[in-house]
Amino acid sequence: MRSDSDPQVVRSVTRPDGLEIARQAAPVGAASFAATYVAPSGWAYDPSGRSGTALVASSVAASGAGSRDRVALARFLDQYGATLSRRVDPETTEYTVWGPQSAFEPLLGLLADVVLRPRFDPSDLARVRRQTFERQLREYAQPASRADKALLEAIYPSGHPYRATGLGTRAGVARLGRADLVRFHRTHTTSDGALLVVTGRPSLESTVRSVGRAFGRFPTEQAPTPPRVPPPRTPEPRPISLPMPGRSQVEIRVGAATIARGDPRYPAAFLANEVLGGSLLSRLFQKVREESGLAYHASSELESMRWGGYWVAHAGTGPERLAPARRQVESEVQRIRSSLVPPRELDRIRRSVIGEIPLAFETTQGAHEIGVDVAYHHLGPTFVKEWPAVLRALSSSDLRAAASESIGAGGLVTVLAGPLSPPV
Amino acid sequence: MVAAVARRPRTEQFRLANGLEVLLAPDPASPTCSVWVWYRVGSKNEWPGVTGASHWVEHMLFLGSPRFKKGEIDRAVIEVGGTLNAFTDNDFTAYFTTVPREQLAIPLTIEADRMTRALIAPKEVQRERTIIRSEREGNENWPEFRTDEELFAVAFRRHPYRWDALGYPEDIRALTPEALAAYYHRFYGTRNAVLVVAGGFEPAKLRAEVRRRFAGLPRTGEDPRVTTVEPPQVGERRSTLSGPGTTPFVDIGWRAPAVSDPATPATILLDVVLGGETRLFAAGSIWGRSPEHPSSRLYRRLVDTGLAVRATSEWRPRVHPALFTVHAQAARGVPLERVETAVLEEVERLARSGPTAGEIADARVKIGRAAVLSYEGATRTGFRLGYFAMLGPPGFEARLLRRVLKVTAREVRAAAAATFRDAGRTVVRYTPTGGSADA
Repeated sequence: MRSDSDPQVVRSVTRPDGLEIARQAAPVGAASFAATYVAPSGWAYDPSGRSGTALVASSVAASGAGSRDRVALARFLDQYGATLSRRVDPETTEYTVWGPQSAFEPLLGLLADVVLRPRFDPSDLARVRRQTFERQLREYAQPASRADKALLEAIYPSGHPYRATGLGTRAGVARLGRADLVRFHRTHTTSDGALLVVTGRPSLESTVRSVGRAFGRFPTEQAPTPPRVPPPRTPEPRPISLPMPGRSQVEIRVGAATIARGDPRYPAAFLANEVLGGSLLSRLFQKVREESGLAYHASSELESMRWGGYWVAHAGTGPERLAPARRQVESEVQRIRSSLVPPRELDRIRRSVIGEIPLAFETTQGAHEIGVDVAYHHLGPTFVKEWPAVLRALSSSDLRAAASESIGAGGLVTVLAGPLSPPV
Repeated sequence: MVAAVARRPRTEQFRLANGLEVLLAPDPASPTCSVWVWYRVGSKNEWPGVTGASHWVEHMLFLGSPRFKKGEIDRAVIEVGGTLNAFTDNDFTAYFTTVPREQLAIPLTIEADRMTRALIAPKEVQRERTIIRSEREGNENWPEFRTDEELFAVAFRRHPYRWDALGYPEDIRALTPEALAAYYHRFYGTRNAVLVVAGGFEPAKLRAEVRRRFAGLPRTGEDPRVTTVEPPQVGERRSTLSGPGTTPFVDIGWRAPAVSDPATPATILLDVVLGGETRLFAAGSIWGRSPEHPSSRLYRRLVDTGLAVRATSEWRPRVHPALFTVHAQAARGVPLERVETAVLEEVERLARSGPTAGEIADARVKIGRAAVLSYEGATRTGFRLGYFAMLGPPGFEARLLRRVLKVTAREVRAAAAATFRDAGRTVVRYTPTGGSADA
C-alpha cells in the first residue's frame, strides 16, 4: 500500500505560524472523513477563580459560530449527515467534524468557524451554565465519578493540572461571563502549539491548502505558557472511604500518578497495564470476575499525557463482596509491580495487542482517533507500523521494571465510594 | 425530496435446511471480518420466575461448549487481536466477534459450537449469579435505570415488556441452573438464529464454510413469538420514585405502535421533530453524536427556556407495541410540575396542529443524510444487517427508509394524535432525596 493511501501513516507539516497539520488516509472504502483541531486550552489553563472555563467555553463555542446560530449550525450539519463534537481534557480542547468525503470543504469551513469565529451567544452561555451546574451535582452524586474525583485529589496537590475533572465549581462557573469566554478562547485558540489532524482522501499538500483557505491566519499565534506542574503528592496509606447510602454498588479505585506519554518506559508500562487490566484476558478481569465472581467490571487504565499521567485499577461490586474484591484488586496491583510476568502470559497479551491494530482501522473514526494521538504526542509518521516491533522487543523484566517505577512507586491510593455496608 | 441513498452493502441471503438464516456482506477491501449471531429471543420470551434468563444465557454462552472450555472463547479471539461481546434486548440477543480477516474461522467455529450445545454448567451458573447481580447493581446506581424500569412496569401489566432484560433481582437470586438450561434448550437454536458475516472474505468459499459448519446442526428452537397481548390502557398511570441523587426528572411513556405497524414511518419522524434523534438511521457511531438537538420541539420549549437541562424523546422500534417516551430533567430550582406541564403542552400542540412543512423537510433531510454513512466498517455493517433482520423481513430497511422520506406533515400529526392520548399515558417522576447523606 502506498504511504499516502495507508491509514497507518500519519504525516505532518508545520506552517510558519506554528500550526501543525497532520494527515492520514481514510480506510479503504470509507466514504467519510474526520478533521480535528487540537488547541492548548485544556482545563489546566482555567483562570484562577474561574474553574470550568475551558469546558464551558468549548461547549458555547460549538453551539454557534460564524453566521450560524445553534439552530442553523445543527441544520447545516444535518444537511450532510455530519457531526460536530468536542472533547476537553487537562491539556487540550478538541473540536472534530466528521462527515462525507464529498462535503470535506464546507465542513472544514464549519470547523474553522467554530475555532476562529465562535459567537458566544449569551443565551448559549446561560444554557451551558445550567447544564454544567447539573453535571457538577451529578459528579458528586454518582459513586463512580465521586471515586474518580477523590482519587485525583489524593494523587495530585492543589494547583496541579491533573487534579481537577474540568467541571469546575458552582461559584467558578456562575462567575463566568461572555467576556471571560471570549478572552479565554482568543488566548488559547492559537496556531502555535495547536494541531489540525485530517483523516481523509486529500493528500497532505492538498489538505494544507484547504486548511489555509478555511482557516487563514489565526488572530493569536503564540501558544499560551503551559501551567506549572508540581510533583504528585505522597498519598496517605489509609483508604479513602466515601459512604453513599442508598446506592447498590461500591466503586473501588486503586491508583497513582504515573509517567508521561513521552517517557521511554511508556511501551513497557502500557504492556504491563494490558497484562493487569487492559482486556478480557487481563489478570483483574480473570481473577476478580471470571474466577471469583466478585464483580461485573474489573479493569485498569494507563492515562499518560504530555506532562505526566495517572494509572488506575477499577472495579464495582456489592457491599457484601467489597472486602474480597478490594483485596484482590490490591493484590493484583502489587503482583504486577513485584513479579515477573510469565513468558506465555506476556506472549498472549502481546499478540492480542498487536493483532487488534487492523480493527482500530475499520472506520474513519477509529483511524482518526489514533491519528490524533500520534500527531499530538509527536510519535512519528510510521509509529503505528513500528509499534509491533517495539512491543516484541520488551521482556518480562522490562515490564516489571516499568510497573514498579510507574505504578504507584510513591504509594498507592485506594478509594471506596458507595454503600459501604450492606442494607439492614 | 431527499433520495434514499444509504450505501447499503451488497448482501447475499440464504437459509439452511435446519432453519438458520445466513446474511453475507462481502467487502473485499476490508482487513477485518465481523461475525454476528442474532437470536429472536429476548426478555419477551421470559415469564415471572425466569426473568433475566436471556441475559444470563448470554453470559453462559462464553463459559463453555464442547470445543471451548471456560475462558477459551475469550482467549481464542483476543489472542489474535479480535474483539467480542454480546447484548440482550427485549426482543433479541446478539453475539458478535470481529477479527483480522485471516482469522475468520475462529468465530465461525465458536458460533457453531455454542448455538445448540452450550454447556450451561451448574457450577458456572452459580458463579455467574453474583456477576449478574453486580451488573444490575451497577445500573441501579443510576436513577435513570430505576425510573425506566418503573415506567415499563407500570405501563405494562401482562406483556413481558414490563420487566427489564436484566430481570428482577429476586429472580436473579433464585433462578436454578436447571431452569436456565431448560430455557436455553427451548429457545436457542438454528430456527431462531440469523448468522451475519461482514467484511473481507471470498463469498463462494464462505458459503461452503458456513454450510460445512452449520448445516449439520439440529433444527431446534421453539417458536419465540409472543402471543400475550397487553390490554388497552384506559387511564393515566402515575408513580413516583425517590432516592439518592440531585436532579429531579420525569419520564413519560405513551402506548406506541410495533415496528411492523403502518404508522412506524410517521412515528419515526414524530420522534425526530419532537426530540431530534434519528436513531435507526443515525449517522456513524455514537461517538461524536451530540445529544443536543436545538431545533427540536422539546429542546426549544424546555432547554432553551431554562425549564430543563435535558429533554429528549425516544421511540425504540420493537416487535410488539411498546412505548413512545419523553425524558425531561429539571433545571435547578424549577419544580417538576412545570417541566411535566410543558412537556404535555408541547406534545398536545403537535397532536393538534402537527409539524410545520419546514420541520418535516428538515427531519427528512436529517434522516436521509444520516443514513448515507450508516454502513462503514465490518462491525457496524454486521450490526445493522442483523438488527434490521430482527425487526422485519428482507428488504425491510430500504423499504422503511423510502417510506420515512415520503411521510407528510399530516401523517405525523395523525401519529401524534394517536400516540399522545391522556388515557394511554404513564408518568414516573424521580425526586432525589438530596445530597445530604453524601456530604
